[in-house]
Amino acid sequence: MTSKKKQFIFDTIDEYFEGFEDWAEQLQERLAQRHSWNQRACTIEPLRHMEITPLEVKITVDLPHTEEKNVKITQMNEKTIEISAKIKKSVKFDDFGITYRRGEFNMLQCRTRIPVPVNTDQMKTRFNKGILEIRLPRKSRKDS
Amino acid sequence: MSEKVRIIEKDKIPSDANMIFGFPDVGLVGVIATSHLISELNLVEVAYMDSKLLPPLIVLHEGLPHSPIRVFGNNQLLLAISETAIATDTLDPIVNSLVDWGKKKKAKTIISLSGIPVQDRQDIQKPKVFAAASTLESLKLIKEKGVEVLTEGYIVGPQAIILQNCAKTQFPALTLFAQCFLNYPDPEAAAEVLKGLNLITGLKVDVSKLLEKGEDIRLRARDIMKRTQQELTKMKKSQEYDLPLYVS
Repeated sequence: MTSKKKQFIFDTIDEYFEGFEDWAEQLQERLAQRHSWNQRACTIEPLRHMEITPLEVKITVDLPHTEEKNVKITQMNEKTIEISAKIKKSVKFDDFGITYRRGEFNMLQCRTRIPVPVNTDQMKTRFNKGILEIRLPRKSRKDS
Repeated sequence: MSEKVRIIEKDKIPSDANMIFGFPDVGLVGVIATSHLISELNLVEVAYMDSKLLPPLIVLHEGLPHSPIRVFGNNQLLLAISETAIATDTLDPIVNSLVDWGKKKKAKTIISLSGIPVQDRQDIQKPKVFAAASTLESLKLIKEKGVEVLTEGYIVGPQAIILQNCAKTQFPALTLFAQCFLNYPDPEAAAEVLKGLNLITGLKVDVSKLLEKGEDIRLRARDIMKRTQQELTKMKKSQEYDLPLYVS
């Protein structure tokens, strides 16, 4: 193996582990403290999960009460994508027995920051049982 | 029982009852399944937990305050449920206190309902149910009832505490695990685990309403799932994916 290749492998591993656990933990805590209902925008933030492997980034999003045709994925910038999906029937706090808050929600929506460079033009998606799966191949050195 | 945890009894507690546990864990399988049992069997609150180890919160139901950890029951069944994610550092005394209380009340068997996370769960049409037990007799029962035994692997979380506590005293206990999502509420897995419970106990719990309400439950359970996720990370739940190294 050439020293250039070796260096590339070590760089990739470093990039993968360096501070990633801390980042994931902090992000999770921040997400847990944030409201998941946006009354002004009439949106609900769905649960989501990101997995980063040496070759790709896999994002899954739980989108109950939605249909594949109503799911929209928008690239906000190089590092952020927005996922939105119209809910089949609007949801009110009343539906859950909550009477002290008002609000009607008709959309599941979230923005996800992707922490490593990816090729968004090679994005693959699939939707099964209300779970949206997005696969984004990671950019290799030569891509960037 | 730990002095930090008190179980306050509100009603007569039956002896020789199966005691079922549904605590927040992967896919919220246990919580969803036990919530369905409470409504389907019209169980009433018979006891609740009072503890400084719990966060300073109450749960309001119909305007009245309740402990987040309660025991429901009828004359044949006791059911412990937590409506809040339990901090990892308090899980041991909380779960052990409930198990010890169940033993003191002469419960017949302790059965916890939970999930086992699998990758690409969305591609599985019907989640499989597995079981683990505290004693050889309980293991025999599982096999006789045709439930697949979880032969090797790690268990992390409330189920681990329950099985360990019961194995130490050779008290009959078992855990039913349905294949589920790690981070998303999974009502389908809860329905399968209840079918497994029906097989083991002879109960006849209908799961059709649970499946009908599945998408509502997924929407409603997002907040508790999010808080549970945090605790699952802290308790290193991902170890359940690891292969154990058995040294004979």
